[in-house]
Amino acid sequence: MLSPVLTVEAVHVSYGRIDAVRDVSFEVPEGGLVTLIGANGAGKSSVLGAVSGLVRPKKGVIRLDGKDISRWPIHRRVGAGLILVPEGRQILGSLTVAENLRLGAQRRRRHAVAESDMYRLFPVLAERRALPASALSGGEQQMLAIARAMIARPRVILLDEPSMGLSPKMVDEVFTVIEKIRAQGVTVVLVEQNARRALRVADTGHVLETGALAHSGPAVELLKHPKVVEAYLGIE
Amino acid sequence: MLQQLANGVFAGSIYALFAIGFTLVFGILRQLNLAHPAIFTGGAFVGIELATRLGLPLWALVPAVAAVGALAGVLLERVAFRPLAGRDDEHFAGLISSVAFGGILIAALQARYGTEPRSFPSGYFPNRLFEFGGISVTLMQLVTLGLALVLMLGLAWLVSSTPMGRAMRAVAENPRAAKVLGVNAGLVTSGTYALSSALGTVAGALLALNLGQADRDLGASIELIGFAVIIVGGLGSLWGAMAAGLILGIAEAMTVSYFDSTWKGLVPFALLFVILVLRPRGLFGAVKVREV
Repeated sequence: MLSPVLTVEAVHVSYGRIDAVRDVSFEVPEGGLVTLIGANGAGKSSVLGAVSGLVRPKKGVIRLDGKDISRWPIHRRVGAGLILVPEGRQILGSLTVAENLRLGAQRRRRHAVAESDMYRLFPVLAERRALPASALSGGEQQMLAIARAMIARPRVILLDEPSMGLSPKMVDEVFTVIEKIRAQGVTVVLVEQNARRALRVADTGHVLETGALAHSGPAVELLKHPKVVEAYLGIE
Repeated sequence: MLQQLANGVFAGSIYALFAIGFTLVFGILRQLNLAHPAIFTGGAFVGIELATRLGLPLWALVPAVAAVGALAGVLLERVAFRPLAGRDDEHFAGLISSVAFGGILIAALQARYGTEPRSFPSGYFPNRLFEFGGISVTLMQLVTLGLALVLMLGLAWLVSSTPMGRAMRAVAENPRAAKVLGVNAGLVTSGTYALSSALGTVAGALLALNLGQADRDLGASIELIGFAVIIVGGLGSLWGAMAAGLILGIAEAMTVSYFDSTWKGLVPFALLFVILVLRPRGLFGAVKVREV
């Protein structure tokens, strides 16, 4: 097996006296697609927060290429290619679409891909590049949020609920894009409430329950695991 | 009448330069830096000191004053604002600690220079007078207006068209989203204060150059009208600060010519009151820094 590009070791996140994440460990191999699934409030986003640097874990170690990055500020993690596409998209609405992309490339200028390549990958953004990003629809904003991360040529992209609040058609498009990202060799960590869709694109899945890992394994097996089916997949 | 208009424009350009630095910090960081008038006063003394001791000519004096101002701005933010970040009363506490920082700075200036005015070396800048159709203006006034315009337009360009400006606008809109994209928020904060205080110190030095001297109350003399400019222009709006600086400068000069100098504050503050009632967000209140 390939050596892991990202390692999460015994991470513990708490907000005040509430433990959001308890002793979570997993590895993400180079070029792999790992998904974290679980109910609302199970701690999925907190895990991504700890990995991206938005949240400071109480205990545990995050490693990128074997290096301990647990104390690095976010901008340094972004510089190393560990990039979060946050929940709720967090588009900068007063900046233009093109400015949002340029901001995404700013910290990794030496690695960044050309803006025109992003427009080829996301044609909808090309037409609207001079508009304020607030003029985009929800689905288009999600595409921009992903493009803004992809322009930096990330080593690992962390996608937090990318399909949330989108129409079924846009959800399809988002998953198509995720597969394209994957095809480019970028390592992906995907947090999703849409467990079935997520497991279908992933190699490995981890199920979080009340802040701790309840089940882990190859995605194809989790799709058939009776407890996972019962709790998260239901009947199709 | 025309002469008063010209005088108003020159005074207004200094008000605008003072106000733009203050409004920049608010527009990007949502912080009210009440040490700004003290920084302005400090700029005047730094200018006099550098001209007297090192004999720096004007072209070198302005960048040197700006550099000292930038350092002072970085220090100010570290001391008066950064330690309070994340507190519930962050904004109010920052307001008070910036008042304290300003007070300490003024006290330090008084300890070093006393309360008597200090002057630029005699003949520091050629005292030339130009006449245009009945208006007389000094060379210093022209230099002041030119510099103020260059600095203000330069700032607007920096905010609207450079990577640093893009990062500043991103932080202004959504600090968390900016961080996620790799913007170093600490660096943007320091940079904003450096720019703000550099503009403030240069404005102070320019006023002192026009007066030929400075005392520790220089900042206090501009503080009220400066804050009126910021409110009339719309807190956080760069273009608003520029326009309102000129408008209030002219209004003030006109008041002096029609009434007398004891009524100096009448029209500017009446205007401030009217604006607050009719357009509470200021003339350019809807146009924030991030939309420059």
